[in-house]
Amino acid sequence: MYDHDLLIVGAGLAGLRCAVEAQKLGLKVAVITKVHPVRSHSNAAQGGINAPLTDRGDDWKGHALDTIKGSDYLADQDAVEIMSQEAGEAVLELERMGVIFSRGDDGKLGTRRFGGQKVARTFFVGAITGSALLHVLYEQSLKMGLQVYEEWFVTSLIKHDGAVRGVVALDLKTGELESITAKSVVIAAGGAGRVFEPSTNALICTGDGLSLAWNNGAGLMDMEMIQYHPTTLARTGILLSEAARGEGAYLLNSEGDRFMEKYAPDYMELASRDVVSRSEQTEINEGRGIDGNVLLDLRHLGKEFIETRLGYLQEVSVEFLGIDMAEKPVPIRPGMHYIMGGIKTDVDGETGVPGLYAAGECANVSVHGANRLGANSLLDTVVFGRRSAEKASDYVKSVPNSVIPTEKYVKRDLELIKNIMDSDGKYRVSEVRNKMATAMTKGIGVFRDQESMEYAKKIVDQTKIDYRDSIKIENKGKVYNTDLLFALELGNMIDCAESIVHGALTRKESRGAHFRTDIPGRNDDEWLKHTLIYKGLEGEIKIETPDVTITEWEPIERVY
Amino acid sequence: MKVSIDVKRFDPEKLNENNWVQNYKMDIHPSSTVLDALIHIREEIDGTLGLRCACRASICGSCGMRVDGKAKLVCKTRIEELVDEGETLLVEPMGNQPVIKDLIVDISAFFAKMTQVSPFLQPDELPEQGEFIASNESMEKLLTEMNCIMCGLCVSDCTILEVDNTFIGPAALAKASRFVYDPRDDQTEERLNFLNDEQGGIWDCTRCMQCVEVCPKGVSPMDRIMDLRETAIEIGAKKTHGYDHTNSFEKSVTAHGRLDESRLAFESAGIFNIPRLLDLIPVGLRALIKGKLPPIFPHKAEDNKKIKELAKKIKEME
Amino acid sequence: MKYAFYPGCVARGGTPELLSSSMAVLKELDIEIEELTKAGCTGAGVLQEKNPLLGDTINVRTLAMAEEKNLNIMTLCSTCQGVLSQANHKVKNDPEYLAKINDLIKEEGYEYKGTTDVKHLLWILVEDYGLDNLKSHFVKELSDLKFAPFYGCYMVRPSEALGFDERPERQNYLEQVIESVGATAIDFPGKFSCCGFPVLFINQKNSLKMVSNQTGSAKDLGADAMVTPCPLCHLNLDGYQGKARSNNRGDKADLPIIHMPQMIALAMGIETKDIGLGRHIVNTKEILNKV
Repeated sequence: MYDHDLLIVGAGLAGLRCAVEAQKLGLKVAVITKVHPVRSHSNAAQGGINAPLTDRGDDWKGHALDTIKGSDYLADQDAVEIMSQEAGEAVLELERMGVIFSRGDDGKLGTRRFGGQKVARTFFVGAITGSALLHVLYEQSLKMGLQVYEEWFVTSLIKHDGAVRGVVALDLKTGELESITAKSVVIAAGGAGRVFEPSTNALICTGDGLSLAWNNGAGLMDMEMIQYHPTTLARTGILLSEAARGEGAYLLNSEGDRFMEKYAPDYMELASRDVVSRSEQTEINEGRGIDGNVLLDLRHLGKEFIETRLGYLQEVSVEFLGIDMAEKPVPIRPGMHYIMGGIKTDVDGETGVPGLYAAGECANVSVHGANRLGANSLLDTVVFGRRSAEKASDYVKSVPNSVIPTEKYVKRDLELIKNIMDSDGKYRVSEVRNKMATAMTKGIGVFRDQESMEYAKKIVDQTKIDYRDSIKIENKGKVYNTDLLFALELGNMIDCAESIVHGALTRKESRGAHFRTDIPGRNDDEWLKHTLIYKGLEGEIKIETPDVTITEWEPIERVY
Repeated sequence: MKVSIDVKRFDPEKLNENNWVQNYKMDIHPSSTVLDALIHIREEIDGTLGLRCACRASICGSCGMRVDGKAKLVCKTRIEELVDEGETLLVEPMGNQPVIKDLIVDISAFFAKMTQVSPFLQPDELPEQGEFIASNESMEKLLTEMNCIMCGLCVSDCTILEVDNTFIGPAALAKASRFVYDPRDDQTEERLNFLNDEQGGIWDCTRCMQCVEVCPKGVSPMDRIMDLRETAIEIGAKKTHGYDHTNSFEKSVTAHGRLDESRLAFESAGIFNIPRLLDLIPVGLRALIKGKLPPIFPHKAEDNKKIKELAKKIKEME
Repeated sequence: MKYAFYPGCVARGGTPELLSSSMAVLKELDIEIEELTKAGCTGAGVLQEKNPLLGDTINVRTLAMAEEKNLNIMTLCSTCQGVLSQANHKVKNDPEYLAKINDLIKEEGYEYKGTTDVKHLLWILVEDYGLDNLKSHFVKELSDLKFAPFYGCYMVRPSEALGFDERPERQNYLEQVIESVGATAIDFPGKFSCCGFPVLFINQKNSLKMVSNQTGSAKDLGADAMVTPCPLCHLNLDGYQGKARSNNRGDKADLPIIHMPQMIALAMGIETKDIGLGRHIVNTKEILNKV
């Protein structure tokens, strides 16, 4: 039994930024993470982090409008305003911590262009921005001696007398289950890419945080908004950053044409990601693809430029496909990448459940609405990671020092684990997951319709049953039992899939990433709303549709 | 493609016979990586196999292992480049780190050594507003070290760590160099003095190049260590045998064009270091008896004055 | 066959037996050499710690000398091989750096254009001379002998400077030559390992542990001797074996270390005095008995 003021679930960018701030504010803080902090998926972000620097002639409103337009007007504009206003300082802070951002000739931070924006305001480190930021925040966590429960998996939240007061977690290295109490908990456990197959996401992105929150009364908002990244490598699905297009790469179809001219004549390859993905998919569906891919052409950028500014992309292309980007175009196609949807929070990370906060990809403030702009996710994590720490530090002052009877919560989870360990059904966990994930991609893809979404729902419902009755666990040991871990993760993924499917069937319009071929238009009159899914105590689904907050920017037609 | 993989397994919960080699056979896509094969094993053949992996795209650093004796990131190691159909591949956990289970090793010592080099920016003051001003060139130079994903492969195959785990190690030293050469950091001298310490610091590296060979990200830790040695000498950190050794070498080559081995041994021991000098005597005697003692008047290169001139020219350049 | 000959410093210093046996072998094989008497020490990686530019300049100067004569360079030492190859690789891939160095050596009349190849005698024997031709000069079969190969770090890393992309078999030549003399090449896992010589004067404890590990495990695997193409490895494994083994394994120096050319000379039936086996610290009598 341990006790903290603030316990953060997840040690990626949002989690570590929150931790650094919380420690600065004098809180007794700890981070709990199922992988070592530097293994967190934040390290896979490549292209950069957006920030309007107002002291250099940029206008925060410009960034806000780009973001809101990018979101297809589903973003809550008050939240976007805050993010745009705080972005500059957030990025400068990171530089002062030691990030080796690229520079302009004046020695100040340098920029590149990115999707959905005409102004170049994306700050970057080669093509490893996410990794560079994560490592610097990790360094800061070492500097301050942050306590980390490393390779511990949270099995459930402890909700006591209506407030979240800690977690029950499995120490993967020993197989022991323990309770960790805290006056508040911030969930920063990332996205849920593994609910789809294929996905650019790491194997660890299993929606654990989303599930934890959902099962404790928080709402999951706009879960149908799944971002398919336009440029994922053929066959392997590995991400190739938007930075390539930001630095001038072209998208070509089998006829050698820059086809984006047809779909987004103004922004071309730098239109919003949902527009580009749909364009690519249309080209492929209409027979102008090559083996299910289109081409990303960087040849005109030159070898030296590619190797300095886009080094990691070249590495991936050469290592995984044997293609030198300076010599040949690379085959790519849309791949599931990010989930705009998430745990509903306000601008301070509050979920509405006392003591429970959320930040990062798992949260939905909403700043990304129906489509996220590239380089806005890294920004989202640090701005709202920090803000959650501030809010939580206020909140904990009101929480009395009391002893929580944790035994019953630990006992409950021991039962859960025992049931899983004893299961001896006919399906391996991976089999069940693969079936569901493939169906989710098929049913909730770049294009979707009533039939495809109902198909996905049907498979998810069947998966719930299979998970309950028919999985088998081969590994009966305690030390680092990944068989058990995967089963626990699958449970979380099923929760995410369920909320996604409900969200998708609820929204009867097309907006941003949710493109219904059977209802192809955007319907602001009826659907300028979020979908909000709750799970009741008996597991029943409750759906609400709160309005989107509009401040300054009335929704207009979205054209790139 | 038919693939056969031997995996070195370890189960800490077994009382006896807890380590063994297990063979797995499968038929997978010809361009598969070793990680694809291991995941296939885990998902379809043997759910008890323990390994760490996450991103599958060589950026997270989780999947370091030894494949046929050499440390590799298995997510970017293609099977067809290592073996032909019908041959067996051996996969073992990384070296120099205790094994927790199967291919999972205890990485805590690795990160503890990172922490030892104070791997965070230490400026004397922060700019009043905005960012530190720095040239793009200086930031791009640091990209090499920043590419380090802390995968541990260099540590796994380091020949010094095999015999001496007090050595800080290639990963931590490469990380340290990232701060020594960061113009915004103000602890350069302190860092170099710390790293210059004879106990486990930069002079313990034996220049075997294993870390250069295995690093999947081109960080080339040994070259970073050599950079640090050069810089340490430049700032005047000289009280080490390592310095004496390289200094004597330079003097010898500059003077004679060739190496004066006897003098090198003498000066590397330290001309006032009596115990070390005494230590050289038995070896020297044996060499003398066998007729192997290097000549007192060393061989010189023909026209060795030219080399002296080159050395002088280079010195003037700096 | 003719080569520009670069014997290295140690062949004339601490390991004269390497030079004498190599000369005898080259004579027997009719391989012509012209020594680069003006060439300076490669720096062995040590000079480069303090003065990398001087090291590269001296080495490029050596490469230019051979280029002028239109000859490739033959080395007798893994370390010379590695350091020269690395310098060669570096300037071939960095024209600006090459120009800088050429600027320094032009006064002497040298200009390196990047065409010289550096090959250790081991590579020359397998690639240029051919093992079949080599075998035709053998009069004795060393079939009773088991040798553990020990390449030396600089001969096997970094692979890109040593041409392993085009010739990956270079990592197997020593075993091939061992087998060509009729002996058995032990499957020795430490064959690419480090002997500890570079840290001998800096951290003797570690250096000796490495000597003990390598010689001890080779002995455990049944080796009669260790064969190495690097005189620096030889100095450490031979000269310090006694102290290393007694400190770490509590046993004696019982593994003779022989230079690669010495092994070939034995097979060729060359006069023992030229082979210089008597100069080794660890007694080599046992080997001679088994020949």
